Amino acid sequence: MSGLDINAITKAFGNFIAVDNVRLNVPHGTFVCLLGPSGCGKTTLLRMIAGLEEPTSGAIVLDGEDITPLPTHKRNLGMVFQSLALFPHLSVGDNIAYALRIRGASKEEQKKRVDELLTLIHLPGFADRPVAKLSGGQRQRVAIARALALSPKLFLLDEPLSALDAKLREAMQVELRQLQQRLGITTIVVTHDQREAMTMADLVVVMGHGRILQAAPPIEIYRKPADAFVADFIGITNLLPAEVDSAGRTTILGTAIPGLAMPAGVTRASVSIRPEDVHLGQPGSRAITGQVTFVRDLGGTIETFVEVGSTSIIAVATPRERPNVSVGAKVGVTLPPESCVVLGS
Amino acid sequence: MNRLISTQVSRRSVLGAGLATAGVLAMPSILRAQDKSLKVGVYGGYFKKSFDEHVFPDFTKATGIAVESVAEPTGEAWLVQLEQAAKAGQAPADLSMMSQTSTLKGQSTELWTPLDTSKFKHYGDLLPRFINKYPDGRVAGIGAVAWWITLVSNTDVYKEAPTSWAAFWDKANEDKLGLLALASNSFLLEVTAKTFMGGTNALDTEEGLNKAFEKLAEVKPNVRLWYRDEAQFEQALKSGEIPMGQYYHDVTGLAIADGFHVRTTFPKEGGIQDSGNWVLSRASTKVDEAHAFIDYMSQPSMQGVMSRKVGTTPTLKKEVLDLTPAEFASVSSDIEPIIPRYDLYTSKADWINQKWTELIVG
Amino acid sequence: MRREAPKSFADYTPLLFPGLMLVVFFVVPFSTMIAVSFFKRNPAGFYTPDFVIDNYARFLTTFFAGVLGFSLMLAVLVAVCCVSIAFPFTYLLTKRSRRAQTLWLVGLLSVLSLSEVIIGFAWSTLFSQTAGITNLFVALGLMDKPVALLPTFGAVLAGMIYQALPYTILVLYPALVRLDPTLLEAARTLGASPVKAFFNVVTPALRNTIVATLIMVFVFALGSYLLPQILGRPRHWTLSVLITDQAIYQSNMPFAAAMAVFLVLISLALVGLTLLVGRRENAL
Repeated sequence: MSGLDINAITKAFGNFIAVDNVRLNVPHGTFVCLLGPSGCGKTTLLRMIAGLEEPTSGAIVLDGEDITPLPTHKRNLGMVFQSLALFPHLSVGDNIAYALRIRGASKEEQKKRVDELLTLIHLPGFADRPVAKLSGGQRQRVAIARALALSPKLFLLDEPLSALDAKLREAMQVELRQLQQRLGITTIVVTHDQREAMTMADLVVVMGHGRILQAAPPIEIYRKPADAFVADFIGITNLLPAEVDSAGRTTILGTAIPGLAMPAGVTRASVSIRPEDVHLGQPGSRAITGQVTFVRDLGGTIETFVEVGSTSIIAVATPRERPNVSVGAKVGVTLPPESCVVLGS
Repeated sequence: MNRLISTQVSRRSVLGAGLATAGVLAMPSILRAQDKSLKVGVYGGYFKKSFDEHVFPDFTKATGIAVESVAEPTGEAWLVQLEQAAKAGQAPADLSMMSQTSTLKGQSTELWTPLDTSKFKHYGDLLPRFINKYPDGRVAGIGAVAWWITLVSNTDVYKEAPTSWAAFWDKANEDKLGLLALASNSFLLEVTAKTFMGGTNALDTEEGLNKAFEKLAEVKPNVRLWYRDEAQFEQALKSGEIPMGQYYHDVTGLAIADGFHVRTTFPKEGGIQDSGNWVLSRASTKVDEAHAFIDYMSQPSMQGVMSRKVGTTPTLKKEVLDLTPAEFASVSSDIEPIIPRYDLYTSKADWINQKWTELIVG
Repeated sequence: MRREAPKSFADYTPLLFPGLMLVVFFVVPFSTMIAVSFFKRNPAGFYTPDFVIDNYARFLTTFFAGVLGFSLMLAVLVAVCCVSIAFPFTYLLTKRSRRAQTLWLVGLLSVLSLSEVIIGFAWSTLFSQTAGITNLFVALGLMDKPVALLPTFGAVLAGMIYQALPYTILVLYPALVRLDPTLLEAARTLGASPVKAFFNVVTPALRNTIVATLIMVFVFALGSYLLPQILGRPRHWTLSVLITDQAIYQSNMPFAAAMAVFLVLISLALVGLTLLVGRRENAL
């Protein structure tokens, strides 16, 4: 079977369970983002895949081979560290050629591969530079090139872009995704930045407290979050209480939402609705009535904060559909039932 | 520094414990405030303690002169200090205990006030070797304390006591000896001259010295340890690790008393007798008191006290002493001693030192 | 943040104290020593201010060249041995738990409190025939009869390494603790075994620290004068032993000073050479 199979992996540090019985199948060539807040176990999981931590139980299978007992240096993988870990005493070329040199490749072979990789990362002619003389983005690329020198089966990156400034980070996200698609290499990136995950990943794996909360394509995660934690972690959302009234209708904040069905037997639940799905209009019987407390006009988008009782609802609109509201005005909030996701408790 | 680990407080200071002690000077202990007083410098440690306990209080009682004892540092540091203080008209101590070599060096600058021997009742009983004279015959110093360096051996390893210094040259003793590391404290040149060349006068000429060095070179294969630190050899001697060598008669006696299997032998050529003098700084105004002290110390009864209580060798003729034969034997011997050629260590010091170092290091 | 060049006298005041200390504890004593090394020796007395080069002339013989050569060789050997032992040791130490590290460091610090004399005597007992380690070997059946392991060159070397090792470890420790652990991990993901990675990543990455430590241990070992006497034969005596003899036992301060100045100059030259070679290699 091709790809990476993580089979019931658990890692305990003393009493603390960092990774709790995680199962995940990553098909060959997939770009996976492990996403979650710090301490959720994503880095530990990545390090176990790399062989830098030993699992307490479970197995890691790569292309049908159980690599759990293999030491890191025999796993045929490339890894980019958060600190980048470029070797300070070596030039750019020697850093990239390190893996080849360890394997005893000839000088010509090393040079050829270094030139190839430098072209790939858009830094041709940089081979003789000392790494200390590089900019942050250049160092980033060199670290990537070094990890790819041996065309590994698995490409692992631990918060690779966290040291870059916001603009460069966005550019590198795109570049990294394009590079991965060109090489078709199975890639796993650890990040806490959901935007980064949305940009790059085929598969986003949201983790919390050592477990996988949801593993799905980015848009599905966004549209259909499995629970309140995922919904809240991925993007901005409105989490609203829903209940079934005596007439069997589903109501939110006292207003019935026709067409929104609760799972059988559930009478109370949280509902997630993305701000861009919330419509504002004139107060009316079919809408939830609230009062505008703040309007943030960002030019590209307009965020409107509406208070309904003690609950705050955010609505986002584009300038074209700009709602005609001002602070203090009464508005009617409409929630399209098809955009409401009833969350599991 | 060497002394820290020595189980017995060392009695000598000629070895020079070095710079560490040089800083710890002048901690005077004033016995009694009186009109007449005297500052006396004695080697720090064992000697100062013994003098403070057995000598100074009785002297004050007998003469009414208060004594302030000053611990002097070892080596030549004290000489340097006295010299520099005297230039400024100061005397950190009136009387000082001074090694023979240092006494000679002090003579060269007239540092010592010549002593009036008519004030010493027992001057005639002093052994001549304990009277240190200027070249013109004036007396620069009078023997204060004396001790022996003898041939010592471990009784477990050597069932029979060696009888001659020649044992050091015996091929059977390869890698078994512990000898003092410096020409000026081992006095092995004198031992060589007395044992093989008819006496220390053989060292008068450079030719004689060269011959002595040549003969001494034959000892080298037998020497396991050239020591500067007494404790190091003492420990090895007691354990039998280094079963023979030269060492201090008195300290070896203490080791025997403690039950260690060691012995000290006066070889037939004589033990080496080293000593310190009482010298009076020219900057001192306490001339009368100093004479009174030397006179007091040179009494047969005081020499007896010193031998019994401190373990030093009497500076007076055996006949006038009140020591029993056993007491005498424990601190001295009737065999004529080897008296070090102190003159060599002032006049030819650097030459001898250089040859010596090359001999043992080379 | 850009630092501005000091403009007024007040800007230099933070330098006053260290500067003063440097003058009081280094410049003045060292200048005095240089001055004394040109003074005239008086064998019967002390020395008189003068300007003579006899003291240096006396030193320029094959005998002293031999002693100097031995001293330098011994110091280099001690430095190389200490760093070869301490570097992997300290590296492994930094991988232990904080508690274990603290315990080790406290232990090492306590070894530092031992004086050279105590170290010398401890090793002379350990190497002795009567009470030494070979008795243990005999008891274990490894040897037929106990032997004395001193005085030998090996004993001197062992004693000096023992004395310098805690310093070496304490100097290396901060650099190794600060070393980015992912450097080694990166090397491992690139196919290097941990041992290989240690030698071709950790060691070269800390090259400057290692050179600095070598120099420190070298200088430290050069000053040792008790251990060679206690554990070695006279031919293992270092120049420091002879300097001590001259200064303390012979009262020949000018000659002792001349030897000391010579030793300092030779050491400085060696240190300078090491740094020069290091810089050239770095530039390549």
